Amino acid sequence: MTPPIDQRQDDPERDIALAGEYVLGLLPIGERRAADARMVTDPAFAARVRDWQADLSNLDTRYAPVAVPAGLGLRIEARLFAGDMSVSRTSLWSSLAFWRGLALASLVAAAGLGALASGLLSPPADDAAPALVARLANPDSNIGLLASFDARSGALSFVPAAFAAEGEHALELWLVPADGAPISMGLVPGDGGLLRLDENLRGRIGEGAVLAVSLEPAGGSPTAGPTGPVLVSGSFARP
Amino acid sequence: MTTPASENDPAFLLSRMALGDRKAFPLLFAATSSKLFGVTMRILKDRTQAEDALQEIYLKIWRRAGDFSADRASPMAWLVTIARNHSIDVLRARRPATVDIDEEFSLADPGLDPEGLALNRSQGRQIERCLSELDRVRAEAVVSAYVDGMSYQELAERHEVPLNTMRTWLRRSLLKLKECMQR
Repeated sequence: MTPPIDQRQDDPERDIALAGEYVLGLLPIGERRAADARMVTDPAFAARVRDWQADLSNLDTRYAPVAVPAGLGLRIEARLFAGDMSVSRTSLWSSLAFWRGLALASLVAAAGLGALASGLLSPPADDAAPALVARLANPDSNIGLLASFDARSGALSFVPAAFAAEGEHALELWLVPADGAPISMGLVPGDGGLLRLDENLRGRIGEGAVLAVSLEPAGGSPTAGPTGPVLVSGSFARP
Repeated sequence: MTTPASENDPAFLLSRMALGDRKAFPLLFAATSSKLFGVTMRILKDRTQAEDALQEIYLKIWRRAGDFSADRASPMAWLVTIARNHSIDVLRARRPATVDIDEEFSLADPGLDPEGLALNRSQGRQIERCLSELDRVRAEAVVSAYVDGMSYQELAERHEVPLNTMRTWLRRSLLKLKECMQR
């Protein structure tokens, strides 16, 4: 398709048109790929492409700005800097295998927490079921959060109580059912660490239920699901 | 750059990103993303695809920030080029070319001096004036291709001409444009 180099020199008109077609985006995918490859090896052709880009860039004024959905920028940052921000990739949210594996690991972790957790909880009243505890953690970081849930009062409390995001960000709590989309439980309380859950949410918390915290724009996720990275997560177990 | 860069000037932010300064990223995103989202929405015409494309585009921008050269292009033109290229790649991959376009290229045009064209640098500022020198329908075809990412197939259908005729028109129009812009 692309002529040999010695012929290219003889046909500047063809190359000017081809570079223009490339910049306009008119080429079918095969020819477009061929032009991409040629730019790497043929500086003169690459220069023709750049010239067309400069020539045509005044047409960019025809693109009207469109408001970007809130949270998209954070999602990109999470993808770019995932390793160092100690966050899991957002795509993990859609991976059932990830959640199953996580729930299992957290159960094991929670088993060792009994002694710590029992000191945190208000003394259980006689026949009441003991509270459920979830240790929220992230294998890549040392941030940790202990959540305990009292089914009778619907109170979900956190240790440490002061666990909040800074500035333009908020921390949002999610309950992750075994087979469905995460359900928002609201923002992590910044003061006192106590959240009182409504009936609907209370009924969904039991052993093995997964709790997660994501980083969101101030005010919380603008959508029905988490938009920012997952900072910590863990599943409920009996201490 | 000749003037001291302001904090939110995209050229300045790109230079900080090139040095790995992560704090520059959200600032650049805030300053430029609605324009680039306008590009991906206009070309892809599908909100989900346009959002996915925007994510990929900003990943590229972060990685390629070091390639930006202020002498060669304005930062917005550079960013829009990345956004258009990515969107058109997605679009062309989505709709595989169904027809082989005839490779013949015989565009005898007595007014043209190809050697002269090759030597001059392009101007870039005169596109609207030069488009107005083209036949109106052909100028529109050039603009629809650039702005909306229309393919030869779509342009041929819109203007009710055979595909090869369309391609010949477009190529001839491109050569006329180039000649005008170098005047």
